[in-house]
Amino acid sequence: MLGSRLLENFDSALLPYAVAAVFLAFGVAYRYMVWVSAPGARRLFNQGWRSFFSVANFRKAPTALPRMIATYLGFQKFLGARSHARWAAHQLIFWGCVLAALITFPLTWGWFTFTSGTGSGPGYEMRIWGFKIIGFDSLDVLGWLMFHGLDIAAVLVIPGASYFLWRRMKDRGAITGQRFAYDLVPLIALIVISVTGLLLTFSSVFLHGGGYEFLAVLHMVSVVFTLIYIPFGKFFHIVQRPAAVGMQLFKYTARQDREVFACRRCEEPIDTGPYVDNLRATMRDLSLGFDEWAEYCPRCKRVLRGSAYLSQVKKGFK
Amino acid sequence: MMGRTIFIDPGRCIGCQACVSACRECDSHRGKSMIHLDYTDEGRSVASLPTVCMHCEDPVAPCAEVCPADAILVTADGVVQQADTTRCIGCANCVNACPFGVPKIDLQAKLQMKCNLCYDRTAYGLAPMCATVCPTGALFYGTVEELQAERPGVQVADIFSFGRSEVRTGVAMVVPADRMQWPVPGGLPVVEINGKDVRR
Repeated sequence: MLGSRLLENFDSALLPYAVAAVFLAFGVAYRYMVWVSAPGARRLFNQGWRSFFSVANFRKAPTALPRMIATYLGFQKFLGARSHARWAAHQLIFWGCVLAALITFPLTWGWFTFTSGTGSGPGYEMRIWGFKIIGFDSLDVLGWLMFHGLDIAAVLVIPGASYFLWRRMKDRGAITGQRFAYDLVPLIALIVISVTGLLLTFSSVFLHGGGYEFLAVLHMVSVVFTLIYIPFGKFFHIVQRPAAVGMQLFKYTARQDREVFACRRCEEPIDTGPYVDNLRATMRDLSLGFDEWAEYCPRCKRVLRGSAYLSQVKKGFK
Repeated sequence: MMGRTIFIDPGRCIGCQACVSACRECDSHRGKSMIHLDYTDEGRSVASLPTVCMHCEDPVAPCAEVCPADAILVTADGVVQQADTTRCIGCANCVNACPFGVPKIDLQAKLQMKCNLCYDRTAYGLAPMCATVCPTGALFYGTVEELQAERPGVQVADIFSFGRSEVRTGVAMVVPADRMQWPVPGGLPVVEINGKDVRR
């Protein structure tokens, strides 16, 4: 409703999309609250925001946060370290979906409107919240781009999602433990949305609108299903990911202050001091009574366990 | 209740690293070994200890409990899976909370990896890679009955103590018969570090 000026430009044909968007908002809010209520998430959530709002941190490293947002959320460099092909495919899906969301939601609520005093051709105006932003000729390149934004998004998403779907059929690592509803349905949904969206354009350009109504319903159903699915399946990682930036910022600012925590036995660095304190507090919240063990590195834990077995259980491992 | 699982007998381990090499061949984490082989008293003893994920049952998977992203799934058969690549944020909570020191982390890829009991094999009734290649039987895959049929009189324990806490696991260790009713010491409280008594 916000910015739509009491739904002045609401397109009733888009009502199912609007209803799905409301479900999406409630679903995300519900899942988010459940998620950040768990001790591990809650403590990192608090520490992340504390680091974010710290004026001292901002003075020390003013570019840290924008850099992390760009490399971590935008260009997702960490995916490149997993596999270049997966990074490329994910970037296609990501930018395609960002473009589609930036078009779909504003259109659904009437935030964007296009007006023309001349019918097709020159004199088109794009308005956001009623204010004129840009004027263009609907038949020139800009006009074509404006009216084919969702087609471009579909062209980006289809190869990316198809690669992941192919990988889920062929890669034995990906196949191990994969679940249909969690791993395959999101990819199929993205492909169905994109293909039906492109077919709508195909129908209007080449078939004089033949089959358009059926395709529009199919496209609408797939989008509505996907929007409602977002909070409860694999797509929830979209909502979770920004928390990773908070976690990185929390660790980064402590490293800036040289607060590194070393293993009590081998003195190799484990992580930052505030991070270890935070983890120990999380473990106590969860009644895991061995939180002091977090002050030893994984290798020393194993060696100390081996020593205890050697001396107390099977003398000399006989 | 132990079903078909791994039984670790450090007394049989000769530190040959066959398990480490075989683990690297596992399809679910090709090229990276998830098993740890540590020499507990290097330079003075040849004793070595292979460590696979113990698949903690009670408390259920501390790694999954501390995960802020709900990335670690425990499947219905009790196997603690490695982190979901979509969700893992690479915070290392699981790495540092695991009482057995099992999970590994790739900080560049922001991804945790760990032994998943060769789920691509065990889900189809095959033994994990490490137990398949172990030449001495230090890593045995099967049921307790199968183990005892092969090694008469052997006993196993699946409870480990860490200070005043106890952890019951899905993977078990071979222990002498007289130690069966006691939890296996997990190394905490630490009594000695590099030859120095650190008991307070």
